[in-house]
Amino acid sequence: MSSAPGIYAGTANVIAALMLLLEFGMLRQALVRDQVRLYAAQSAMISILAIVIAADRDLPELYALAALSGALKVVAVPLVLRRLLGAPASEETPGVAGSYTLNPASAVLACIVLAAFGFFCFGSLGIHSGQAPALALSLAGAMVFVAFALMIVRRDVASQAIGFFSLENAISLASLVLAAELPLLLETAFLFDLLLAVVVFGMLIRAHHSRAESLSTADLSRLRG
Amino acid sequence: MFGVILAILIVPLAVAIACFLVPARVATGLTIASGIACFGLVLALVPSATHGTQTYLSYLRADAVSGVFLLATAFLYAAVAVYAAGYLKGRTDRYTRRFYLGFNVFAWAMLAAPLMSSLALLWIAIEVTTVVSALLVAIEDTDGAAEASWKYVLIASAGLGLGLLATIFAYYAGAQVLGAHSNLAIQPLISAGRHLPKTPVELAFLLAVLGYGTKVGLVPVHTWLPDAHSEAPTPVSALLSGALLTTSFYAILRFYQVASAALGTGFPRDTLLAFGIASLLLASLYVFGQHDVKRLLAYSSVEHMGILAIGLSFGAPVALAGVLLHVMAHAAAKGNAFMGAGVFTVKYGTKRMSSMRDGLRLLPWSGPLFLLAIFALSAIPPSGIFRSEFEIVAGGLASGGNAAAAVLVILVTIAFFGLATSTTNMLLRPAPPEAVPSEPVLGAAGADGRQPAPAGDAHSDRAVLVETRARSSRVLAPGEPSAWMVVPVLAGLAVLILLGVHPPAELTNLISQATAQLRGAS
Amino acid sequence: MSAAVPIPVIQLLQVLTVALGAPGLMGVIAKIEARLQGRRGTRVLQPYYDLAKLCRKEALAPSGASWFFLAAPFVAVAAYLTIPLLIPVLTTYGLPLGYMGDILGGGFLLSLASFVVATAALETGSPYAQLGSSRAKTFSAITEPVVLFVVFTVALLTGTDLPYALAATVRSSAGQVIRPAHLLASAALFMVILHETGRIPVETHTGTNEFGMIEEARSFEHSGPYFALLKWGSMLKQFILFTILADVFLAPWGLASTQRLGAVLLAIVALLAKAVAIGVAVAVIDDSFAKLRLFKITEYVSAAFLLAVLGVFTLYLGGG
Repeated sequence: MSSAPGIYAGTANVIAALMLLLEFGMLRQALVRDQVRLYAAQSAMISILAIVIAADRDLPELYALAALSGALKVVAVPLVLRRLLGAPASEETPGVAGSYTLNPASAVLACIVLAAFGFFCFGSLGIHSGQAPALALSLAGAMVFVAFALMIVRRDVASQAIGFFSLENAISLASLVLAAELPLLLETAFLFDLLLAVVVFGMLIRAHHSRAESLSTADLSRLRG
Repeated sequence: MFGVILAILIVPLAVAIACFLVPARVATGLTIASGIACFGLVLALVPSATHGTQTYLSYLRADAVSGVFLLATAFLYAAVAVYAAGYLKGRTDRYTRRFYLGFNVFAWAMLAAPLMSSLALLWIAIEVTTVVSALLVAIEDTDGAAEASWKYVLIASAGLGLGLLATIFAYYAGAQVLGAHSNLAIQPLISAGRHLPKTPVELAFLLAVLGYGTKVGLVPVHTWLPDAHSEAPTPVSALLSGALLTTSFYAILRFYQVASAALGTGFPRDTLLAFGIASLLLASLYVFGQHDVKRLLAYSSVEHMGILAIGLSFGAPVALAGVLLHVMAHAAAKGNAFMGAGVFTVKYGTKRMSSMRDGLRLLPWSGPLFLLAIFALSAIPPSGIFRSEFEIVAGGLASGGNAAAAVLVILVTIAFFGLATSTTNMLLRPAPPEAVPSEPVLGAAGADGRQPAPAGDAHSDRAVLVETRARSSRVLAPGEPSAWMVVPVLAGLAVLILLGVHPPAELTNLISQATAQLRGAS
Repeated sequence: MSAAVPIPVIQLLQVLTVALGAPGLMGVIAKIEARLQGRRGTRVLQPYYDLAKLCRKEALAPSGASWFFLAAPFVAVAAYLTIPLLIPVLTTYGLPLGYMGDILGGGFLLSLASFVVATAALETGSPYAQLGSSRAKTFSAITEPVVLFVVFTVALLTGTDLPYALAATVRSSAGQVIRPAHLLASAALFMVILHETGRIPVETHTGTNEFGMIEEARSFEHSGPYFALLKWGSMLKQFILFTILADVFLAPWGLASTQRLGAVLLAIVALLAKAVAIGVAVAVIDDSFAKLRLFKITEYVSAAFLLAVLGVFTLYLGGG
C-alpha cells in the first residue's frame, strides 16, 4: 500500500495535474477564444500554486511573484491576445476556429503517449527539490511535450502562439518546483520578457492575418530547401 | 572600465530611442556614430579584459571570452550601420526610422549579452534579440518575410523556452552548492563545478545546446535560419548571420564552461561534436542547388556554426583559440558576403542568382570584394578564417579527434565547391546576348521577384523599389549603387587580412587569455 | 439500539437497499431535473408505480426471438443484484460473500448484464434495437480501457483490488483524498458512469431521440414484466455505479463499522444521501450541457482515458 504524500504535496500535485489537463484542453479546443480562456485558467493555476508553496515553505517573495504573474498572465496577456487576434466581443460570432492536422481524439491519444514519455523522462532523473514534490516536475515535463505537440498539431498561427505561451507556463511550473527561491528580480524580468514576446507575437499574427486573410499556416510553404 | 561598459550598454539604446523621434537622415547619422563609438569603446575594453575579469553591480561582467564576442559584434555593428546608409536610400522616412529603431535595439541586446554576469540575464538578453530581430525580419512587407518571421519567432522562442529550462536546471544544480539565493552568476557556478550534482548539469547542458542551438542554427533545429536570413533586409541579415548566431553560441559556451567544470569533458564534447558534424554535413549538402544568394549564405552560416561547435568539442588549446578567432573572422567575412550580396540585389533587382550575370564588370568594387568574401568564407588563405580553421583542425589532430578533423576538412571542401560554383556564375559568366530575364522581375514586388504585387497595393517604398530595381542584366550600366555600401566591405576585408596574416598582439593576448579561461585554468 | 445485526442479514440488507432504493433514486433525479427546468415534475415515487404498472401488462415477443430474449432480463437483474454483495454498500468490513469477487469481478458482472441485454436486442431483428445494441457495444469497447485503468489505479493504491481495501485507504487520511491519482481516477470513473447510465453528454435519458439513443434503444422490443425487469435493471445499474463511486472513491464515510443496528440503519441513510448527492450533480450536468454528437463521443471517451492514464502515471512515480 503506497503511502499518501501529505496534504501539501497532494495539493501541489493536483494543481500540476490540472495544469496538464488544461494543456490537453487547449489541444482539443477548436475556438481560439476558448484556448485563450484555458490559458488564463492555467496561468491562474500557476499563481495559486505559487501561493500554496509560499504558504507552506514560508517564502514571502513568492506571494509577490504570484500576484505579479497573476496580473500579467491571467489578466494582461489574455487581454492583449484577444485584442490582437481580433476576437469579437459578442457571443453570436464566437471568433476564430483553429485547424487541425489530426482530429482531436487522435491528437489527444498521441499526446498521451508524448506526455507519458516526458513524464517518465523527467521522473527518472531523480531530482528532488525541497520546495515541491518531484511529481510536479514530471508533470511539468509532460506539459512541455504536450505544448510542443500543440504547436505542431494545430495549423493556425493563433493556436501555435498559444502553444508557445503554454510552453512558458510549463517552464514556469518547472521553475516553481526547482527554483522557487530564484531572486524575485530575475523572475520579474522573465515575466516582462514574456509580455514583450506576447506583443511581438501578436503583431506578427496581425501582419500574417492582414496579408493572408486567414490565420492558417497551410500556405506558409513558399520557402523550402 | 565601469564607465566603458555602461557606455556600451547605454549608447545604442539611447540612439534607438532617438531614432524614433528624429528625421531619417539624422537617424542614419546617429546610428553610424553609435556603431563606431561602440566599436571604439569595445576596443578600449580589450586591454582590461585581457588582464582579468571585472564584475560591476553584480550583474555586469567583462572577461576575455566576452571581449572576443563583443569585438565581433561591435565591428559588425559599425560596418553594417555605414552600409545601411547606402542600402536604405530611396526608402520612406517612416520605414527608415522604424528600421533604425529596431536595428539599434537589436545591436544593443547583442552587445549586452556578453556583458551579463548571470545566466538568467543572458537568457533575457538573447530573448530580446529574438523578438526584436523577428520584427526586423518582418519589416519588409512581403509574403516571404511574413512567413519567415513567423517561423523564426516561433521556432526560436520555443528553443529559448528550452534554454530557459536549461537555466532553471542550472539554478537547481547551483542551489545545491551555492545556496538557494544564488543569482546564477557564471563565475561561482564554474568555481563550484566539481561539487555540482551531475544529472541536473547534464540535463542543463543538453537543453542549452538544443535550446540555444536553435538560435545558433545547429541542425536539426536550424530550419528557421535560411528563411529568416534570406527574407530580412540585408543589413539585418548581415547582423543576424555575423553577430546573432555567435552571440547565441556565447551562451552555449558559458554552459559548456559550467558543464565541463562539473562533468569533465566527455559528455559536453560528445554532444557538441554530434551537433557540429550534423550541422556541417547538412549545410555543405544544402549549399548546392540554392537559387537565392542570401539563402546560400545562410546555409554557409550553418556550416560555420557547425565548425564552431566541432572546434569547441575538440578542446585542445589551439582549437579553442581557433574557435575564438573564427568568431571574429566569421563576423567580418559573413558581414562582407552579405553586404556584397545586398549590393547585388540592389543592382539587379532580384535575389535569384540565375538572374545575376557579369558581376565583375558591372560592379567594379563590390564584385571582386564579394568574390574575395566568398573565398574568405571558404577558408582560403590569407583570410582570418583560414587561420582559424587551420587552428581548429590542428587542435583536433592534437586531441586525438582525427576522424572528426578529417570529416571537417572534407565537408568544408564540399561547401567550398557549392559556394564557389554559385557565386562564380554570378560574377564571371557574361550576360547572355539575348538577355530576357526568365522571372517577371519588372513590376515585381520586393527584391525577391518571386510573386507579383497584389493589385492596387500602394506601399510607397515598394513602389520606389519597383522603379529603381526592375532592370534586366543587359541594360545595366556598370557602377556601384552607393559608396556607402563599399566602404564597410573594404574595412571588413582589411580586418580579415589582418586577422589572417598577422593578428595584433593585443588580440592574440586576448584570445590566449580567453582560451585559458575556457580551459578552466584562469 | 445496540442490537447486533447478524451478518447474513446485513448482507441481505445490502441487496435490498440497492434493489428497493434504485427506483427511488431515479425518481429523485427526475424530480430535481424537472425542478431545474422550471417544471413541477412527476412524483418521486413514480418509478415504483411505473414498474408496477408494467408488471400488469401483457408481454409480447417478436416472432423470431428465442428463449434468450425472454431470459435476458432475468440474467441481467440477477447479475445486478449480485454486485451489491461484492462492493462496500453498507459496511466497512468485508462480508463473507464479498470475497466472491473483487472489482474486476464486479466489472465482469456489469459487462455480463450489458452483453446479455444487447444480445437479446440483436436477436429481435428490430432496427432500433439493433442500432442501440451495436452502438452500446462499440462504445463500451472503448470505455473498457478507461475502466481498466481506473481499476489499475485502485490496485496500485492499495496493493489489492478489493474495493473494501480502497475504501479503507481513502478513509485513512486527508492526504489520501487529495492525491492526484485518486482524484483523477474518480473523475475518470464519473465520466464513465455518465456514459454507462446513458446521461448527458452521451445520451438523453428522457425521451426517445432515435438518432442518439444508445442504452435506451436496447429495450425497445421487450414489453410487460420483461420490460419492467429491464427498466429496473438499468435503475439498479445506476444505483450500483453511484454506490461504487461514492463508497469506494469519493466519500467512503458513514459506513457501518460494527454490526449494531443503529450503525447499519445510519449506513443505509448515508448511502441514500450520497447517491442522491451524486444524482443532483448528474441532474445539474444534464441541464447544463447539450448532448454530444455520436462521433464526438470518442473525444469524450479519450478525455476520460486521459484522466485515467494520468492517474496511473502519477502513481507510478511514487507519490501521486
